[in-house]
Amino acid sequence: MQLFTERLNQQTTIVNNNSYKFTLPKGDDKYINIPIEIKWDFLGQDDAVEEYQQNVVEEVVGFPGDFEVLRFAHAPYSSDTKTDIKYDFHFFGINGGVPANPSTQVLTSTASNWVTSYIPEGFTNIEVYYYVKPFTKSFFKLDFYDSTDAITQTNYFTVILPVQQGFTVTAMTSSYKSPINIKTPSFQLDYVGDKEGFFLYWLRNTKFLNISKFYMTAKFFDARLGVFVKMMNRPQSSLVGNKFKFNPEDYFYYEVRLNYTEKTYEVWDNISGTSNRRGTSIPIKWYEYINP
Amino acid sequence: MDDIRIVLGSLRYKTSTDTDLSIPTPLVQNSKNLQEFDRSIDVNLAQLYDDERQKSTTFRPVCKFQLLYENAYTGSTNYPPLENNLYYINENVSLLQQCNASAGAIAWQGFPQYHEFDFVRSDYNVSGYTQPPNNHINFVSRSASTYNWNFFVSYPYKNSYTKVLQYYDGMSSTGKQWVVSDGIPFVIKKTDTFIKGNKVIRFVCPVKHGLSVSEFAKIKIVVNGVITTNDTFQVFALGDGMPGTDEYVFNIYDIGYSSGKFISGYNGTFKRIINYENPNDTTSKYYVLQHKLLTNVNDAVMVNAGFEQNIFGSKKKFESPAYTPNNNKRVSIKEGAQSYSLSFNKDIDVSPLRDNQKRPITELYITTLWKGYFGLTLGDSSLKQGYEFNLPLSPLKFPSDWWVSTNTSSNFVNENNQPYPLGTYQNPLGVKPSGQLIDFKYVLSLNEGDVVDGGIYEWNDYEQKERIISDISHKFTFNSFVFDISKTDAKENQLGYYYQPHNKMKLRDYSDYIETGSVNNMADVPDYSYFSTTYNALIWRDLYSYGFKDNSGNGVDHPFLNGKHYPYGNFIFRIIPEGTNYIESSLHNYATLYGAAQPTNDDCE
Repeated sequence: MQLFTERLNQQTTIVNNNSYKFTLPKGDDKYINIPIEIKWDFLGQDDAVEEYQQNVVEEVVGFPGDFEVLRFAHAPYSSDTKTDIKYDFHFFGINGGVPANPSTQVLTSTASNWVTSYIPEGFTNIEVYYYVKPFTKSFFKLDFYDSTDAITQTNYFTVILPVQQGFTVTAMTSSYKSPINIKTPSFQLDYVGDKEGFFLYWLRNTKFLNISKFYMTAKFFDARLGVFVKMMNRPQSSLVGNKFKFNPEDYFYYEVRLNYTEKTYEVWDNISGTSNRRGTSIPIKWYEYINP
Repeated sequence: MDDIRIVLGSLRYKTSTDTDLSIPTPLVQNSKNLQEFDRSIDVNLAQLYDDERQKSTTFRPVCKFQLLYENAYTGSTNYPPLENNLYYINENVSLLQQCNASAGAIAWQGFPQYHEFDFVRSDYNVSGYTQPPNNHINFVSRSASTYNWNFFVSYPYKNSYTKVLQYYDGMSSTGKQWVVSDGIPFVIKKTDTFIKGNKVIRFVCPVKHGLSVSEFAKIKIVVNGVITTNDTFQVFALGDGMPGTDEYVFNIYDIGYSSGKFISGYNGTFKRIINYENPNDTTSKYYVLQHKLLTNVNDAVMVNAGFEQNIFGSKKKFESPAYTPNNNKRVSIKEGAQSYSLSFNKDIDVSPLRDNQKRPITELYITTLWKGYFGLTLGDSSLKQGYEFNLPLSPLKFPSDWWVSTNTSSNFVNENNQPYPLGTYQNPLGVKPSGQLIDFKYVLSLNEGDVVDGGIYEWNDYEQKERIISDISHKFTFNSFVFDISKTDAKENQLGYYYQPHNKMKLRDYSDYIETGSVNNMADVPDYSYFSTTYNALIWRDLYSYGFKDNSGNGVDHPFLNGKHYPYGNFIFRIIPEGTNYIESSLHNYATLYGAAQPTNDDCE
């Protein structure tokens, strides 16, 4: 509240002011308090300032956000008795070996040209069996995007599947030696056993990024050649017409659905036009993509 | 102001002259100028961090466990899935016996493998045990970390003053029971004892008495149901002259009490009193702490701690196919060395919680409970609980009577003193000699909100301090129909394993000083203060702020990020074979009662 005080030192009659008439007594000073109404209250001003300070500081430096991650496990299936997730990676080969001219040979390929073996990629049974460095330094890379639009999408996290995991098959290194077991790019990941890449770690708080659906792509890093091999969700042979002209959004992704309540995830495809869960009894299948 | 007309003096009236006029217009306002430091603020990151830290009441406990386990008991079994998966001993003998008998007639001997006690079972792919055919169970991978043990976060919830406890009196060779609220038990050992020429009466306790010289003990002795003594006596001295006995033995000055008052062998209980003139304020209370669970089984995430192993290493051996009952070769594990990390999917907000003294929560506990889903244990007796003084073996080298299966006081019980139920399943391969199927038993999973017993504590209002008297231990024994260790007494009181279920994780600390506040000025008095008749004031201990440590090291400095506190605990979890290698046994008074704690006198002394 603001007050205005007027003081006159002389004994006189004050001019009528707002219909008030005052007669000032002799000898004493007279004060006229004129209330001027204002619309806000100064009480609690300090508190308001502090509150405002906090808001400003939050705007400037942010507030304590929760960037802790949760562990999402593969959702149970088969009446809740199984939790494992299966990935099968297929490489393009001709008669089980390395194709001489893949971009040409893929035009006449069939689905059987894609096999779950490292041999068509150029590794030998001996290299795989003896874990030579070009093999052990190779890995599968699963990228998780927020959309299938290659222009606007963001890669939020990545999972690496090392080649040391996976099933084995019988192979020969020499006709004079006994058969051996070598690794194949077929993985069964679970809480126990092979578990690298089984869990997905993502923000537990949805305040910043509320994403419950990711789109997964796969690549194979071939440490022998130092190149990435891109993977599709079906063999190129299944494409009708031009084998190199297709909608990438349909062919390079699987859908990963997070359940924040159960802390689980499921992998789905839409290959057949209807959505089906994958990675359970039916593995998540990836096929090498051949560039033109 | 606009309506004020100022008239020149000479124009006011005829003879008037011009005079100086002044119109002082003081502007009085109640509004306050904002000071510079009010209008602008330096964004101090450290201050901001501390403000957020002090304000947060949410915790994300994380801990690491080193599992120390000695696989101590050998036994035999005829249950094929287990028999085919033992860590064998005397396999030559078993093999020869099997040659001359039918396959099912010979029970092979050995140790159960380490998987049976591991935090995370790794025998998920064992044909004939966890995988078909003829397996014990179908292994569910998701349950690998919950088959054997369950992990919870708990907090000190309330006190139980009615628990019946029992210690073994070596002098009378009997178990003595008392109610925990009666205090600490004792046995009068000698009455003709002198200390520095003064005749004293000596009291020997099975736990640390917590008394100091010149404090007081309110001693209660009941003989044949009649209270013969219920008075307060001053402590004259501690110990019986032997090393390590000060904490277990106290003496009062014998002024010449009547001969029947303190007789050697009498037993009773006492309560500590600091000031006998003010017993209401300074008498200790004794109780069993009860813990309330804050999480469910599936909230815990138990994983291997990288490549960390304990210093004892693992013990494995190759089982040659010729020396196994099913002629399968394999590697069996007797003891492992893996360390484990434990975290929780659930945040713990302590703001709505109060501890057993109605104070803000300053401690959480990681509570580990035996589940034993594979059913090798708990068949003859349910999960049991007891205290330090129940652990040493009887003179016949069997467990004390406290652990007898029929003793309901030692059951693993809930808030209402009712035993937690066991689950049961059967397997057609598991048949008793009587022809009935074996019941494989396990502890059903507890849930958030369940209450479990903790240690025995002493609380003194005058000191505003809690002292642990004894940690609680759980004990489980083998199901003799599944795995027979043949180590029981006449009461089928079987040797087993015990462990301490509660591991403390400090969230904050109380001050080492006591604050006082007048009842006339309650402004800064916390709601957990206590009115002391000694001080005639409200007293309490301050809560140290997060990140502060005093000169004595009291206080915590847990990491704070994501707006949450991350307290960390590094625990050693021991699964201890009963009667072996008990850490306190050399000083434990129960042993003292036998004289076992007396140091060996040899020539050196």
